[in-house]
Amino acid sequence: MQRKVAVVAQKQINSADVGMPRERMLYELVKSLYEEVGISRDDIDTFVLCSNDFNAGHTISNVFEDCPVGAYMKDETKVEADGVWAATYALARILSGLYETALVVGNSQGGSVMRPYLMMDYQLAPVYDRQLGLLNELSAAGLQAHAFLAKKGLTPDTLDEIAARNLADAAKNPDAFNGKAGASAADVAATDMLYEPLRKGHCYPFTDGACALLIASEEKAKKLTDRPAWIRGVGDSIDTYYPERDVVDVKSVKLAGERAAAMAGIGLKDLDLVELSAKFAHQEPILLEGLGLPADGGAASVSPSGGAFGAYAFNAAGLVRIAECFKQLTGSAGDTQVEGAGYALAHGQDGLCMQHNAVMIMSSEEG
Amino acid sequence: MTALERIVTTSVVPLDFTYNYRVGPYLENYIQGLGRKKILGSKCPDCGKVVVPPRKVCGLCNAIMDAEGLVECGPEGTVDNFTVGHVAVVKGLIEKLDVPQVLAMVVLDGASVPLLAELKGVEPSAVARGMKVKAVFRDPTENDLSDLSHFEPV
Repeated sequence: MQRKVAVVAQKQINSADVGMPRERMLYELVKSLYEEVGISRDDIDTFVLCSNDFNAGHTISNVFEDCPVGAYMKDETKVEADGVWAATYALARILSGLYETALVVGNSQGGSVMRPYLMMDYQLAPVYDRQLGLLNELSAAGLQAHAFLAKKGLTPDTLDEIAARNLADAAKNPDAFNGKAGASAADVAATDMLYEPLRKGHCYPFTDGACALLIASEEKAKKLTDRPAWIRGVGDSIDTYYPERDVVDVKSVKLAGERAAAMAGIGLKDLDLVELSAKFAHQEPILLEGLGLPADGGAASVSPSGGAFGAYAFNAAGLVRIAECFKQLTGSAGDTQVEGAGYALAHGQDGLCMQHNAVMIMSSEEG
Repeated sequence: MTALERIVTTSVVPLDFTYNYRVGPYLENYIQGLGRKKILGSKCPDCGKVVVPPRKVCGLCNAIMDAEGLVECGPEGTVDNFTVGHVAVVKGLIEKLDVPQVLAMVVLDGASVPLLAELKGVEPSAVARGMKVKAVFRDPTENDLSDLSHFEPV
């Protein structure tokens, strides 16, 4: 990379029902970040907001976000997809040399305001799949889960175990709201069947959430904190539409991972942890395989924060994964801390059956 | 929560937009084919794969396919993947179904990629990958996507 760039601070809000409008949620979030770092909006060179018109329910979803985050009359832009793309955009802006600091803020209120499964309906081919009414986020996930189990010769028990592990991990993470201490595979297996083999317990929770990341150039980062987490590589890839695509062997996450690792100058097997946006239990092993890692992660801890099971607010989700990597790399992950975490990968997804994938590799050392 | 509290804390805002999309020549030919009880796909000039429903760009190799030279597939095919739905998602909300719905990815004879359709006339527990199935058309047809009603076991 042309310059060294680091994540300097993170803040998250995740809830089933946050009990306040988006604008208030963003104000509280960003105010707490400014206070913690000891800066004001004057210190932010560019704002990258991440929200979606369909989620917000009105056009130009960021129009009422500018004031609460402090972007009013300042340099501001928006991403509509997952937060990893927004953070990548902020990185690119700083690499351009035009900006020293960027505040990335993603949010949506799928817990209390809108219905998250509608988002996928809007992404379906309008003149075909929307007409037939067979595909939706859950039926697509059921088909993907079935294809995965059949290809690997596994039973649904695998999905129950993955969900239970993530739910138990999320219980140790104060930034997650959907954790269940001591969650067992039997608990998950007792949840409602949706589209076989997919059960309610295998799915991400509807979430009101927001996440803010302060990203800065090397010079600025060192002034703002003693413990930055360095961005070392990014990669993204968008695959073809369902169903002619192999949804078990996900080429786009493989390409995204390889691109990020090449930029970082490391191998993916050097990672100490991966924070995955597996919205459904079966997507975790599919992502790991795409990244060339074994099903248990091998040397890498898999989503120690509880991943998407702890909270999944569209747009904010990918930023939350980066925030969790930041916590790990700066030794501030509390009960979920991976000892000696040096390299971490954050993942975000978008589209039907993980059509789009983006990753960011970060490190504790400057490199 | 009382009615008054509910009114002041949230308001429901449903919006129903209607879009009259043009389907384009590929899907138009496909739909007209269904009207004749034929399932048409487009054959890629580069990789030779047959894509159903037909489209302009081959998703497998990005080559341009011809809207006029469509090839007939099926009506029989093989179940490649399936799911048994115990719910439906209606306007973003989960609704329980009284009777499970089998959704199958069927690779039609002569096609290279699967077609998603409902599978009827079989117990959900008896559905298996590799099962031979055949298309059932509405009679009479109405030149509509729904002319291909569902599949059933051969």
